[in-house]
Amino acid sequence: MGPMSLRRSAARVLVLAVVLPAMLVSGCSSRAGAAKTELTVTGSTTILPIAEVAAEMFHEQHADLRVLVAGVGSSAGIESVTKGTSDIGTSSRDLKPEEKSLGLVDTPIAFDAIAVIVNPSNPVRALTTKQAADIFEGKITNWKDVGGSDQLIWLVNRDEASGTREAFSKIVLGGAPFDPKSAVLPGTGQVRSVVADSATSVGYISLGFVDKSVKAVSIDGIQPTEKTVADGTYPVSRVLHFFTKGKPSGLAKQYVDFVLSSAVQSKVVRDAGFLPVAEGRK
Amino acid sequence: MQSRERVNKTTTNRIALGVIWLAAIATVGALGTILLYVIVNGIGQLTPAFIFSWPHGVNMEGGIWPTIQATLYVTILAMLITTPVAVLAAVYLAEYAVQGRLVQIIRFAADSLASVPSIVMGLFGLAAFVEGMGMGFSVMAAALALAFLLLPIIMRTTEEAIRAVPKYIRWGSYGLGASKWQTVSRIVLPSATPRIITGVILAAGRAAGETAVVIYTMGTMINAPILPTQPGRTMPVHLLLLAQEGINLPAAFGTALLLVLMVLAFNLTARYIVSRNRRMLG
Amino acid sequence: MTLDPKPDDRAVRLSEGSGRPNADAAPSAGSGLSTISRATYFKEAALQNLFLVCACVAVAGVALIFLFVGWRGWPIFAKVGLFNFLGGYVWHPTKGDFGILTLIVNSMLATLGALALGAPLAIGTAVFLSEVANPRIRDLVRPAVELLAGIPSVVYGFFGLVLLRPIIAKFSGGLGFGLFTVWIILAVMILPTIAAISEDALRSVPEGIREASYAMGATKWQTIWRVLLPAAKIGIIDAIILGMGRAIGETMAVVMVAGNAPVIPNGIFAPFLTLTTVIVMDMPYAAGDHRTALFGVAIILFVISMIFVATIRIISRFGKEVG
Repeated sequence: MGPMSLRRSAARVLVLAVVLPAMLVSGCSSRAGAAKTELTVTGSTTILPIAEVAAEMFHEQHADLRVLVAGVGSSAGIESVTKGTSDIGTSSRDLKPEEKSLGLVDTPIAFDAIAVIVNPSNPVRALTTKQAADIFEGKITNWKDVGGSDQLIWLVNRDEASGTREAFSKIVLGGAPFDPKSAVLPGTGQVRSVVADSATSVGYISLGFVDKSVKAVSIDGIQPTEKTVADGTYPVSRVLHFFTKGKPSGLAKQYVDFVLSSAVQSKVVRDAGFLPVAEGRK
Repeated sequence: MQSRERVNKTTTNRIALGVIWLAAIATVGALGTILLYVIVNGIGQLTPAFIFSWPHGVNMEGGIWPTIQATLYVTILAMLITTPVAVLAAVYLAEYAVQGRLVQIIRFAADSLASVPSIVMGLFGLAAFVEGMGMGFSVMAAALALAFLLLPIIMRTTEEAIRAVPKYIRWGSYGLGASKWQTVSRIVLPSATPRIITGVILAAGRAAGETAVVIYTMGTMINAPILPTQPGRTMPVHLLLLAQEGINLPAAFGTALLLVLMVLAFNLTARYIVSRNRRMLG
Repeated sequence: MTLDPKPDDRAVRLSEGSGRPNADAAPSAGSGLSTISRATYFKEAALQNLFLVCACVAVAGVALIFLFVGWRGWPIFAKVGLFNFLGGYVWHPTKGDFGILTLIVNSMLATLGALALGAPLAIGTAVFLSEVANPRIRDLVRPAVELLAGIPSVVYGFFGLVLLRPIIAKFSGGLGFGLFTVWIILAVMILPTIAAISEDALRSVPEGIREASYAMGATKWQTIWRVLLPAAKIGIIDAIILGMGRAIGETMAVVMVAGNAPVIPNGIFAPFLTLTTVIVMDMPYAAGDHRTALFGVAIILFVISMIFVATIRIISRFGKEVG
C-alpha cells in the first residue's frame, strides 16, 4: 500500500510538471504568434525609465502592440541594434568614431545632466571641473585639498557599461582613466545610497535621480538645475539618443514619434528628471 | 598536582563545550537574522497584486508575475530534462557498475561537474546553447545549462537512496526468479522513490534560486515565456537587477522574501516526504 | 538448445540470479526456455547500456564545458600568452591589459578569510550536531544548517548589500564594500557545506572508539579534540576543500558586497574585484578580446575547481592507504 500511494503521488508530480507548461502554452498562444507586433528596445540604463514607461503607455493605447525594453548599457544597446537583435538601441552617449559607419540614425529624445554628489554632511559645496577630474583620477585623495575636512576621499564609480560613466569620463576627465581603487557599482540607486551612507564618499549620478539623501555640488560655480542644463551653462550634461538602423519605420517610427510627443516629453521625461528635447539646446 | 589537573580538565571541557554551543548558536543565529530581516522588510510587499501583476513604471513598480512564471517554467523544464538521465545514471552506478577505470572516470566527472562554479556553467550555456546552437536567450537554453548543474546533485542523492535499500530485498527478488531490471524497476526504485523525490525537490530549489546560470542563458528581459524558445527574467535575476540598480528596494525585498519562501516550501516538502516515509517503514 | 553458451552465461551473471523465464518478461512466450532467456538477455543488456550512457552524460558534460568555454576563451591565451594572462597584474581590458593575477590574489584573499571565519564555525557546528546536542536540539539545528544551504546566493548578496554594508560603512569609515563584508557573507555560505560533510565524517567514527576514550577517563572535550577530530581528519579536510571550492566560485553574493575595484585592496575595508565578479561586471558590455578574456577567466575558474576535486580524491586515497 505504501509504495503504491507513493508511486501515485510521484505520478501526480510528473503529470503536473508536464501539464503546467502545456497549459501555459495553450492558454496564451494567441499572443506568441505574430512577429511584427513586438518591438525590442535595448540599451542605456539611464534611458530605461523613459523608454519603459513610454512603452507601457504605448501598449495602453495600442493593445495589440508590445514594446519590450531592456537596460543593458549604451554600448550593448548600440551593438544590438547594429546586429539587428533589437529594433531601437538607446544610448546616453554619442556614437564613437568607429560606430559612425554602422548606418545608425540618431533621434535625440532628451537632455540629461550628471551631478557630482557627496554626503549631505560634507562641507564641500563647490568643485571646479579640474578638481572633480583630479578627485576621480586619484590625484586629490583628501577632502582638505578641496576645502573640506581632513579625511580620505572614497570614490564611488559606475561600471564601464554605464553611459553615465562614459559621459562623465569624457566631459569631466577628458578621457583620462579613473582611479582604479574606486568602487565600481552597477546602478544609479546604489551609488546614491552608498554616498548617502558614507560621510567621506563622492560619486556621480544623473540629475534626475538626485534626492535629499545626497548633495549635488556646483561645478565651476554652476549649480546643476533644470535651468542651467537647459541654457547650457552647467558643464556636465549630455543628449539622450534613440538609434535605429536606417530611418525609423513602421512600428519603430510609431514608437519614436510617441516618445517625442508632448505626452511623453512633458510628463515622463520630466518625471524622470531629464529635460525635453523641444525645450533644450539645439 | 593531580587534583589541579582534574580541575583544569573539567574547566577546559566546560569552556570548550561552551564554545561549541556558541558555534551552533551562531549558525542558527545567522539563519534567523537573514530570515527575520527578509521577512520583516518583505512581508508588506506580499500582496496578491505584487505576486500576480506585471511590473510597470520607472522602477519596476507593481508586481513580479512574469518573473515567477519564468522561474517556475525554467525550473520544471530543467527538472524534466535532468531527472530521468540522473536517475538512470545513478541506477548504473549503484546497481550495475563494477569498480574499474570507467566508473572512476564517471565519478570524477560527476564530482567535477558538481564543483563547477555556476558562473562558469552560465558562460558554458551562453557559448554552447545560446550562441553555439543558436537557441538565443531562451528558457530552453537555460534549462539545458541548469540540467548540467543539477545532474551530479540528483545523481548523488539518487545513488545514496538506492544504496540505502537493503540488500536482502534484492535477494528476495532474485530468488523468485526476477531479472536484474525487474528487480531494479519493481523492487529497488519504488523503495528508493521517496528519497529520490526528496533529492529532486531539493535540486529544484537550487535551480529556482540560481542566478548566474540563467542570466547568461535566458537574458534579463521582462517577459512571461510561453514557448521554450522565448527569453525571460527569473526571480533571482530580477532581485539581482533590482538590488544593483538600488532604486526600488521594496520590490527587491518582496522578491527576496518570495524566493526564500519558495526555497522553504521546497525544503519542507522534502522533509515531509522523508518523515512520512520513515513513519511508514517504521 | 541452439544458443551459444556465452550470452546465456552473461545473462545469468547480469541478473545475479537465474536466467529463468518469467511470465511477465515473456508475453510472447511459446517456444521455450532458451529463447525467452535470450530476449531477456538482450533487453537487460540494452537497458544496462542505456544506463551507462546516462552515467556518461556527466563525463560528456565536463568535456563539453571544456570544449565550449575553451573554444571561446582559448584565443586570449594565444594572444597575450598564458604567462602574461596569469602573471600580469593589470586588469584594464578596455586598454588592452589582460593580467588576472590581481583577480586571482583577490579571490584567494576572499576565500582564505572566509575559511578562517567559516571553517571553525562549521566544524564547531558539526561537532555540536554529532557529539554534543541531544536529539531534540539536533532536530532544530540540523534543519537550520540545511536551510542555510538552500538560500539562493543572490539573497545572501542582497542581505549583505542592504544590511551588512551600511553597518560596516559606519564603523569602518569607508564605503562598506570590501574583504571584511565578503568574508562574513561567504563564511555563512560555506558553513553548511563544511558542517554537513564534517558531521558525516565524525559520525562514521565507530562508537567503540568514543567508549574507549571515555573509559580511560577522558572528558567529552578531550575525546573530541584528541580522538574524534584526528580520526575524522580526512573527511574534515575534504569538507574544507569543498568549502574552498564553493567560496572561490561564488559570484552573485560577492559581486554585491565586494565593490569591484580591479586592484589588490588597500586593507580589508577597500573595494576589490575577483575572478568570478569580473565576469558579472564586464559581461554586459565586453566585446572582442575583452569578452574572450572573460571566457579565459572562466577556464581558469574551471581548472581551479577541478584541482580542488582532484586534491580531495588524492587525499581520500592517501587516507585509505594510511588508515
